[in-house]
Amino acid sequence: MVLCVRTKGSSAGDFTHAQHKSAARRGQRLSRADDTHVAGEGTYVRGGFIYSSLVGWLNELKTEEQKVTLTVQTEDSCTVIPTIDAVVTARVTNVNPRFCKCAILSVGTSPLRDVFRGMIRKEDVRATEKDRVEMHKCYRPGDIITARVLSLGDAQSYLLTTAENELGVAMATSEAGVNMVPVSWCKMQCPKTLNEEFRKVAKVQPEYIEYVRS
Amino acid sequence: MADVNLSEAEKTFILHSVQDNFRDDGRSCEDFRHMEIETGLISNTNGSARVRLASTDVLVGVKVQLSPVDPENPEVGRMEFFLDCSANATPEFEGRGGEELASEITALLTRAYGCPSTMDYPSLCVLPGQQCWLLYVDILLLECGGNLFDAMSLAVKAALFNTKVPNVTMTKDEGGIELDVSDDPYDFKRLDVTGAPLVVTVNKIGHFHVVDASEKEEACSLARIMLGVTQTGTITAMKKEGSGSLDADSISDMMESAKKVGVLLNKSLLKALGEEEEQGTEAVGFLR
Amino acid sequence: MPTDTRRIQGPETSNSPYDFCPTATSDPALLEKQRLDGRDSAQMRPLFLRAGVISQARGSAYIEMNQTKAICAVYGPREVQRREDFSLKGQLTCQFRFATFASQHRRQHQQGNQEKDLSVQMLEALEPAVCLHKYPKSQINVYVTVLQHDGSVLSAGILCASLALASAGVEMYDLVIASSAAMYNDLTISDPTVQEEQAVLSRVGKGSSGMLTVAFMPSINQVSAITSDGGIQFDTLNKTVRTVIDNCQKLYPVLQQTLVKHIEEKKKGISSK
Repeated sequence: MVLCVRTKGSSAGDFTHAQHKSAARRGQRLSRADDTHVAGEGTYVRGGFIYSSLVGWLNELKTEEQKVTLTVQTEDSCTVIPTIDAVVTARVTNVNPRFCKCAILSVGTSPLRDVFRGMIRKEDVRATEKDRVEMHKCYRPGDIITARVLSLGDAQSYLLTTAENELGVAMATSEAGVNMVPVSWCKMQCPKTLNEEFRKVAKVQPEYIEYVRS
Repeated sequence: MADVNLSEAEKTFILHSVQDNFRDDGRSCEDFRHMEIETGLISNTNGSARVRLASTDVLVGVKVQLSPVDPENPEVGRMEFFLDCSANATPEFEGRGGEELASEITALLTRAYGCPSTMDYPSLCVLPGQQCWLLYVDILLLECGGNLFDAMSLAVKAALFNTKVPNVTMTKDEGGIELDVSDDPYDFKRLDVTGAPLVVTVNKIGHFHVVDASEKEEACSLARIMLGVTQTGTITAMKKEGSGSLDADSISDMMESAKKVGVLLNKSLLKALGEEEEQGTEAVGFLR
Repeated sequence: MPTDTRRIQGPETSNSPYDFCPTATSDPALLEKQRLDGRDSAQMRPLFLRAGVISQARGSAYIEMNQTKAICAVYGPREVQRREDFSLKGQLTCQFRFATFASQHRRQHQQGNQEKDLSVQMLEALEPAVCLHKYPKSQINVYVTVLQHDGSVLSAGILCASLALASAGVEMYDLVIASSAAMYNDLTISDPTVQEEQAVLSRVGKGSSGMLTVAFMPSINQVSAITSDGGIQFDTLNKTVRTVIDNCQKLYPVLQQTLVKHIEEKKKGISSK
């Protein structure tokens, strides 16, 4: 595995190259926090200096405005937790007419070790015709879905939404127990029985497939 | 502890008032609030005291009981602390809600009184290696108004001052020693509390520190240290509390303040208790 | 003392045979002459550290200070299970346990008061260092087990937990370094063994004697926990706080080296797969 240099703050176009990597220790003073240095992930600013808050590899990302973003990364980004606006992969566990519950399995590209509970309310299932949503025609227990975190929710669960074309059911099995194939934005078909079932189907994006595979 | 909601402006106000050494109730940083102490108000106990420090209200009852000695220290008496955080103080203490706070406070008091020079423990041993007095110090928290640790240690010391341990006569029987506890209410001995420690909490607020913080001030402070201080300035326990950390240099300043205040507080407490005893004032109790 | 009826208990009252033999701690010369393990009073024990010893845990560490041995595992950040414990801010929980055979006297399986007290002190030491605001709605669990108790267990526990948290990739402001010292009149003993601890504590009340443990974050120069026991003269205590902080500074590079070694090993492990 190659060290990932792409971080949340800088998409591929933002930096030209990763300059160098060196081991950064926790609490180590990395640089002054001035106009040219920006504290990225895994760092914090205190008293005018940028310190490392993780033990990992230091990246200096040059952005176009002559600024350097300092980030520290570990080998496995294992301490992720769902954050607002993150795309998560979840398994539907429980469906009722008002909402469905699911277990969040991974955040972005990083799988979670312990599942977090999530909930999709009826009005967050799709962007159009919100009032005519029938939950059992959108999700069934066992479906693997992609969703976006709407808010941290309550003590019970995170609040998720699938009100985007790219979000919704990514994988589902039919009553015959076979992986189904999407046939429209709201239907999936069983290749064995040719039976059609209703789902809120996600238009799965190529990047997503790529990072699920990696 | 009861939640205090402070706005940013209120917090800044308190921060500035501490900075100017003129706190929101007019005190300077090393002043205590007005307190009332009364001893001997519960007849069923061997010793009792009530301390009201501004709106913090603590009642302590000491009961003594004969018990087998601790095998590890067979020649000294024993003392145990219990704290009941009454739901009267705040509904959060209902059920097991106050347990965490209770164990924290009792642990510190046990540690502060653990030093053998604080009390005359050998005198509490009735029959070395066999029987000793076990002092149950029960603390009841009636109202929270900040600075619980200090108020409780004051009340504990006052109650121990007030404690009357019955005299015991020993008669040698064939086959063993018989203990006879005197039932004459005037046949007792008192405890020597001159070495007993008081807990002084020093709260760090901004770059400065205060003693006897009110609830509002506690809400502004992220870290505090607590010291068990005796009249001679010996430190019998120390701990830091709170989610913040402290600068290495400020710790010694805070300790200095705690020691200074602790020594003075010990002296004035003993003086006040002595005066109360001499005057024999009528019990005021809970009707003020 | 409540007992767990599901376990097979010994007789209701029993004494350890060690109660009846004279201990080294009662030897009045123990603190006056050279230390039993030949160190001078300011010398600390050698430190052996290793991160990543428990494969199932998010992070783990093992520490050995001669005969004091402890192991720590960190789990989480994970969802708060009990509803009443919920808070939007991240939470850190610490459990400090002695193995039943860790000390000279056998310990009960149930958590005793000393263990509870040490758990709270460990939490106090670690909490200021962890960036808890980065882990809303979740909790991080730290479990420390002392395998062998030969003094300075609290500092060993904190060092081990700090290393385990670092290997778990939990964001922290700095490593927490802890160190202990025992004081007896003018004598300050760094990193005491259990015999020295007992010797000092058995002399409490006669002159100034006691124990001190400080947890310190070197690169931001902050003390995260400080705790003392016994009856100590104010000036001695003040002076010893400085000494212990200096000792913490000395330990800092050792922990950092261990961690750098750990991440390098981890990198090799991943690239060889």
